[in-house]
This record gives sequence, C-alpha cells and structure tokens, in this order.
Amino acid sequence: MTNDHRFASILKLLVAASSAVAVSSTLAQILDYETVTDELLQSPPSGDWLSWRGQPNSWGYSELDQINTGNVNELQLVWSWAMDDTGAGQTAPLIHNGVMFLPGPRGVIQALDASSGDLIWEYRPGITPIVEGSGAVAIGSVQLGSAAMPATAYAGVGRGVQKNIAIYGDMIYAATENASIVGIDARTGRLAWESATADPALGYFYTAGPIVANGVLVTGITGCERYKNDVCFITGHNPNTGEELWRTDTVARPGSPGGDSWGDLPLQFRAGSDSWVAGSYDPQTNLVFMGTSQAKPWASAVRGTDGEALYTNSTLALNPQTGEMKWYYQHLPAETHDMDEVFETILIDVGGRPSLFKMGKLGILWQLDRSTGEIIKATDIGYQTIVNINPTSGQVNYRDGMMPRIGQQIDMCPSTSGFKSWRAMSYSPQTSALYIPIALNCELATFGPTEQVLGGGGTGPVRRINYPHPASDDNLGEILVLDVPSGEVKWRYRSRAPINSATLTTAGGLMFAGDWNRNMFAFNAENGDILWQTRVTTSAQGFPISYEVDGRQYVALPAGVGGASWSGMLPRDLAPELKTPRNGNSMNVFALPQN
Amino acid sequence: MYLPYLKTKIQKIFSIRLVKTGTLLAMAFTISNFSSAQSTSPIHDGIFSDAQAARGAEAYSANCASCHSVDLRGNSNSPSLLGLSFMFIWEGKSLGDLYTKMSTEMPTDRPGILTQKVYADILAFILKSNEFATGDNDLTSDTSFLDEIPITSQ
Repeated sequence: MTNDHRFASILKLLVAASSAVAVSSTLAQILDYETVTDELLQSPPSGDWLSWRGQPNSWGYSELDQINTGNVNELQLVWSWAMDDTGAGQTAPLIHNGVMFLPGPRGVIQALDASSGDLIWEYRPGITPIVEGSGAVAIGSVQLGSAAMPATAYAGVGRGVQKNIAIYGDMIYAATENASIVGIDARTGRLAWESATADPALGYFYTAGPIVANGVLVTGITGCERYKNDVCFITGHNPNTGEELWRTDTVARPGSPGGDSWGDLPLQFRAGSDSWVAGSYDPQTNLVFMGTSQAKPWASAVRGTDGEALYTNSTLALNPQTGEMKWYYQHLPAETHDMDEVFETILIDVGGRPSLFKMGKLGILWQLDRSTGEIIKATDIGYQTIVNINPTSGQVNYRDGMMPRIGQQIDMCPSTSGFKSWRAMSYSPQTSALYIPIALNCELATFGPTEQVLGGGGTGPVRRINYPHPASDDNLGEILVLDVPSGEVKWRYRSRAPINSATLTTAGGLMFAGDWNRNMFAFNAENGDILWQTRVTTSAQGFPISYEVDGRQYVALPAGVGGASWSGMLPRDLAPELKTPRNGNSMNVFALPQN
Repeated sequence: MYLPYLKTKIQKIFSIRLVKTGTLLAMAFTISNFSSAQSTSPIHDGIFSDAQAARGAEAYSANCASCHSVDLRGNSNSPSLLGLSFMFIWEGKSLGDLYTKMSTEMPTDRPGILTQKVYADILAFILKSNEFATGDNDLTSDTSFLDEIPITSQ
C-alpha cells in the first residue's frame, strides 16, 4: 500500500470521526494535530518524543539542553497526573506537537496537554465510542468479559501492564491484554480498529506495544509459557486497517529450520520465546530488531530438552514488510536459569560499523553487527556466577555445578529477577556511554517439575531464597555506566533500593532515573554527581522522557506500582525497612521556573 | 510431634461448631477417623468444606486470578498453585506457612486487604483444586492450628 493510499484511507476514518463530532458535542479533540510521517519518526523534532525510546535507535536520549548541569537544581514540579491504579504502572509516554499520549494500565490511553497536564481525551477499552463507519468492532464489557473489570479475573493477564504505544499517521497504536492490536484516532481517542492476534484464553496477552517500521506495525506477544498447540510470535500489521500482514514464529516448529534444536519435543511442549519488550527499527538496514525471552519451563531439565531451543533468548532481525528473519543471534543457547535476554535494543554506529547493544538478566553487554548479526564483543559486567563467556566469540559455557537439576539447590547470581530487566538503559552520544539500571541480587534456587500436559507447563516452580549480592554492600540498586565501545566502567551509583525506572539522557549533560524508594534523580552524566532530586507518590517506575512546548523544556518522570520482582519480592525480602504505598501510579512533569 | 496437640485443637474447634449444629455423631466420627490416621497429615482428613471452597473460588477469582490465572497455573511472575508445581514449593511446609504467605503478602498490590475468613476460604479453594478431601466443616484461619498441619501429598 502506498503512503498516499494509506493516508487517503485514514482520511476516511477522520471524516467519520468528524461526523461523530457533529453528534457528540462533548467530544474533545486535538485541533492542531499534525500527521506523523515516516520521515518525522526517523528524524523527530527535538521537542517531540515519537518512539517509545525517543527515536527508532532507542537511545532514550533527548537533544534538548535548556535544562542542563548548570540549572537542573532549579527544577520545579509543573504538573502531575494520577494514573489509573488498576494495574502495574510501567508507562512509556509519547509527545507530539505539545500533546502527551500516556498509556496506563488495562489499555487506558490519555491525551494530555503536555504543558499544563489538562486532559484532552481518553480511550478506555469497551467504554470509549468507536469511530463511526470505520468498521471497528464494538467491543463492550460483554465481549471483554472480566477484562473490562480490573479487579476481576482474566486468564494470564498479569497486572494489566501497558508499557509503550506507537504514533503514526493520524493514529495511536496499542497492544492489549486481550491479545489484540488497536488503532485509535489520535485526534479524538476513538477506536478505529481492533485486530485480534491470538486467543487470550490460551494465556496470550501483550504488555509491549507496537513500533512503526517502514509503514508497518511490528508487535511481539507474550504469555506463551503454557503448553498449547501453538507458539509465540511477532506480527506485522497494516496501520490503516489493522490487517495482519505477516506472522513470524519465535519458536522453531518441528520440521522447520532449527526445529531439531528442541530435540524430539512436539510442538505443544515448545513454550516461551515471548517478545514482551518493544524492538527498534533501523532505516539504514530496513530491519526491525526484536528480542525474545527464555524458553519455558525455565530449567532445561524440566523442559525435557537440552537443545538450544531456537529462537529463544535471541535477537531477531526481521524485514518489516515480510517478517522474514534476515538473521538471528541466540545470546544464551539452551538457557536454563530464567536468564531473559528479551530487553531493549540500542542502535549505535561504532567506528562506522552499524552495531546494536543489548543486555540481559546476566549482565552481559552484547555488541552485534546489525547488518549481519555477527558478534563484535561480549562484556560481562562481572556480577554473575552462572556462565563463562568468551568476549570475542560470545560463546557461553555453564560453570561447573551450575546446571540446574530438578530438586537440587544451586547458589546463583543473579536471582531469577536478573541484574537487568525491562527498565531500559539509555545512551548519550555526549559521553559515549550507556546508563544501565541494575538490581543486585542472588538466590538459592531449586527448580522443580511441571506436568507435561496441554494447559500445563508454565515457568516451572522454583523454591527461592533471595540474598544480597556479595559485592553490593547490601545495596539492591545500581546505575552502571559503561563506556561504548570499550565496556569499561565510567562510574556507578548505588542505592539501598533497586533502581526502578528506565534511564533518560539529555544533551544538557544529564541523566535522569529513579529508585523504588520514591526518589527521582538528575545526575551529571559525566561523573555521576547528583544535581537534583525529589520524591514522588510511589516508586519511580516506567520510562522517563523529555520534551519541549513553546520553547520550554520539560522532564516527565513516571511513578508506578507492580513492576514484578524488582519492585515487589526483592525489596520486601532484602530491604524490608523500606516502605512504599500500594498505589500511586502517576506522571510527574518538571521544568525550570519561568521568569 | 503435632498429633496430640492437633487432636486437642481439632476437638476444641470442632466441638464448638458441632455442638452448635448438634451433630455429635459426626464429631465422634471425625475424631476417631483422625486418630486412626497416624501416618498421614490431617490435611487429607477433610479439614475444609465444599461450601467454603466454593466461597474461596469466588474470592480467588476476584483477588488472585488476574496473576495466578483462573485455572491456578500462574503466569511468568506468579507461581502455579496447582499439582506438581504447587506441591514442589509447598510440600513439607505447613498450612500455616501458606496461610501466612497469603494473608501477609497477597495480593501483591494490596497485601492483607482481605479478611482472615476470606483468606481461609481461598486456602480451602486451593486445597480443593489440588484434590484434597473435603469435609463437613470450614477450615479455620487460626494459625496456631494451621501451623500444625503439614502439606503432604499422602
């Protein structure tokens, strides 16, 4: 489909939307919305934040420098906004032309005036009207079932997590806890289409939203830990109609290339390889880079195969038009301790070589050639006790005694919570460094069996005793700053509480992050000095961003509850003196005082 | 170790309930049945009722299932409460350990929010789902009682 055709079709929806305006005088909308083109996505104005990590390269870096090392200590709260407390808060907001598009728990999306915090529209699944004449299916509370009522049960939806959304053309795109992709009119917040990709009753759901790659929505699904007659996948969707253009399995089926990497296991027992963190798009190579999670059950002895289990714990390079896998790199073949490698992919050219950087739970920084998938370098940050890694070949071997056997306790660092999680690292071209949120922890772990029956499986049980990392001085949190490409430690900051947000770097020489103990910080990105700090409603959690409206720079720092073990089990067990509220999902926006 | 204490405890709890309902015969049966089962945990002796498990199912659905799933098999961040996986974590520990975990840490977003009775009902539902025998009486939330009942598969 050509761009012209696409936008012509979207226009039809907008006509329908405007006729809806005519019948509903209460409908608020964005009047000065500007269409988001591919060019805009790839080179956004510095005041916008159009991709979940700012730009397609996922640096988490803002080019704004009005707020800088010299004045950041004057930051003041401009506005804050309480978000729904119906689930976990892990929001990754977008900014376009002075409007914040804020994803909340359970599929709620709100458009706010980014300078004042005033609500323009909100989309609530099953409640917000659909775009008339758009062909969107009216999904009401009946169809949504209990998913429409957050306090009640729904198979496998976790805590209603909605991390990132996407913006493109005249639409906002999201992926739902009911295993569908939705297109929402960016001006009005009305549902234009909803496209189901899987049956949520089988456990499928989304926590990561789409990214836009060369005119295609690319989204990875999660909830694939149960045994069923299907596997995990990534899809490409037409942003105009919601039509599914392609589907690429993230598990090699029996008889397909790589299929024997699961031994003799039939299809229904090949679980995991969820893609629960959004990827990155590289216009240079026209490739989408998506991570996949570990195989399920976690321990190979429980899975019943010691094969590599393709394409688990891999980085996949996909053609966004066809879904074809140009290359894959499996970081941890036959992984067996729940050491997920699914997280964000940061695209940096190093010495002219197009590279990507990733880090998984083990705390190994991977540098790959993004054209070929070839390993360039693997840097172990030195905290893990599970594998030996060859820094040039990337070859991973399990250390003696570290292979889990059913019912046999092993002593491992990290715990199954990992040193790294979904809290994304950022990159600053000013310092040529990565800023990595770390949780320090270890575990006495005993992996146990599961039933090998349809509907069973899952992660497998683990008898778990958490303990502090020996090198941590009882600190659970760390921001580790690594030089690119040497991998040398530039500085590190440690705290009693886990570092619980993604990091944000800015051209003002700053790095923003927050901890589980409700602190938000601005650091000098060069040396780690804390230049500003404040405390907010609940734990820092989500993806901080920066933007500009009418010449004023803002920093938006999210707080949230329910971020899995880093914000639950670890501080509860290892820092019990720290207390946080049980709710308080919020967005907190700061700027310099105006004269 | 726990048997004599438990027997007293059961007599105490059951007699209160049974005197109320006047089913002394049932009391006698329950106690004699327990007395003869020296080698097994009383967890197999019908220590909760079907009605309690049904109430627990409702409460589970509203408060637990969004993480542990409607079929109790859990998700990536929440352990399975069913079958092999459940027994792997809990076998050898006591019902009191499980009750304390539930009532002090769950639901993770608002720990301790439910009443003791509702936590006991949910515990009964978990036991029922794992095919432990049901009986005539409700399981208590009294941890001094629950602490003395080991979770065993037989």
